[in-house]
Amino acid sequence: MPSRVQRLAERLQPPGPFRRSFWRSPIRGPWLTAVFGSVLLVGVIAMFLTGLLSYAAYNPDLPENDLTSDKGLLGFYLFPWPTDPVWLYRFTQGLHVLMGLALIPVLLAKLWSVIPKLFDWPPALSPAQALERLSLLLLVGGAVFQFVTGVANIQLWYVFPGDFYSLHFYGAWVFMAAFVVHVVLRLGRMVSALRSRSLRQELRTDTAATQPEPPDPDDLVSPAPAAATISRRGVIGLVGAGSLTLVLLSFGQSIGGPLRRLALLAPRGQVIGDGPNDFQVNKTAAEAGVTAAQAGSGWRLELGGGPAPQLLSRDDLLAMPQHTARLPIACVEGWSTPNQAWTGVRLRDLAGLSGVPEPATVLVESLQEGGAFSVTSLRRNQILDPDALLALRVNGAELSLDHGFPARVIVPANPGVHNTKWVKQMTFKA
Amino acid sequence: MHRLLRWYGADPLHLIALIACFALAGYAGLKLLSGDLIGILVWFVGAAVIHDLVLFPLYAVADRSTQAVVRRRSVTTPRVPWVNYVRVPAMLSGLLLLVWFPLIFRLVGPYRATTGLSQEPYLGRWLAVTAFFFLVSAFAFALRLRRERSASH
Repeated sequence: MPSRVQRLAERLQPPGPFRRSFWRSPIRGPWLTAVFGSVLLVGVIAMFLTGLLSYAAYNPDLPENDLTSDKGLLGFYLFPWPTDPVWLYRFTQGLHVLMGLALIPVLLAKLWSVIPKLFDWPPALSPAQALERLSLLLLVGGAVFQFVTGVANIQLWYVFPGDFYSLHFYGAWVFMAAFVVHVVLRLGRMVSALRSRSLRQELRTDTAATQPEPPDPDDLVSPAPAAATISRRGVIGLVGAGSLTLVLLSFGQSIGGPLRRLALLAPRGQVIGDGPNDFQVNKTAAEAGVTAAQAGSGWRLELGGGPAPQLLSRDDLLAMPQHTARLPIACVEGWSTPNQAWTGVRLRDLAGLSGVPEPATVLVESLQEGGAFSVTSLRRNQILDPDALLALRVNGAELSLDHGFPARVIVPANPGVHNTKWVKQMTFKA
Repeated sequence: MHRLLRWYGADPLHLIALIACFALAGYAGLKLLSGDLIGILVWFVGAAVIHDLVLFPLYAVADRSTQAVVRRRSVTTPRVPWVNYVRVPAMLSGLLLLVWFPLIFRLVGPYRATTGLSQEPYLGRWLAVTAFFFLVSAFAFALRLRRERSASH
């Protein structure tokens, strides 16, 4: 029996999208929504986990590393980021960005499939519905916010209101709060919807044979469906083709080599050349405000933390035992380079020279004045790894100024921005 | 208690799950909003609004217009339905534009200074990829037409 509120709401129902007959797609329905929902269920969890890994990779518990120092309980899971395998960050972050791109068409399709619910009338019949719709604002706003900030950041389009790390990190937690409750409340519905039709059967049904799903309790199925112009298999194929297109035109920037040319629209899809220093530059010396004069013959490396600070010239460093390690550069933006042959002094040798042979951390300072990551910390396992270097040369040549001349840090599996370029000072702490 | 739940409109688990959601979202949200409060709120709510009330209506109207054209022209054009041969390449091209428009339209101020690379190639590349999609689609449509004609003879 409809209540007085319900009857009043019906009388006041606005026209257009607030009427169910406005929505005429014959393929909109719980089964199709559940197909996209199940892909997102797996995809979002994988995105969240790789995102958390990336946060841990920055070792935010060390001085200067944390751009989200207010994290509180949200950093509960942090652990010392390993240095082995050397491609670890390359893999996890390449995956994070590529999966994110692949999920964009799926998210758009999922939102398309439920858009009539946005115009439900009356907006809520009970406090339960009102609260759930509020959580959906966090869900949809959060999802779009995460994708937009991520996609803008990988293009260096810094239009968002604040620091990317803090927006994307806290935004992820707000979104995940709404995501978990959405899964808890809707998982049963998703499973029963998936079971209501056979995927194999749908993949054999063409447009001419496409019929609307039976009426459903959530009112997704149109009460006045138009004739089908595309089958369910067609829409699923279109979404899949969209994901595939985005991935095919991007993954080359995470693999490098000749495949980089395939990344036609990705921000790091351009091949620079084939010289020893011709691999992607995260930030040029000019942009970092580092000049050739600063990096010239007057440059000295200051080693601190021991009994007395020491100053080393580049020749002093070249006179120390040199070690070569093949390591990639991998950026939070998802692009990376294949292994480059870096040659220089082991960080653990520098720790010994400074008088702190058993360091817990080292604070690395760049010639770059200010700016994010001009000062960062490395942890003990990163200092003591035999392949962790203060590199002086790369691929048999001197480092170019853009790649950190006169000396740069390179540590296996380290996020790119923690491989500090133009190193000025290293302070080891026991 | 029973009356309270009837007033609420769902079982207690529903309420508990939502309270947990808002508690965690509030905890993270306060930290999120500790920066540029208005800017971030506008972005967060604006993200949902832009999708629901701008992007969705735009592509829905574009799709309906295409279908209207198909219906109006159907007297003179072949009886093979061709709307999807426009839809698919247009949607793929539009998707690439949606994701990469800052580079395609050269909106990224610091791109060259930061990377040492130029934004110039992206517009041409996107147009070339778009042309490729439509060419493949036209070719597929031509094949389909031939098949239908030979079947009807």
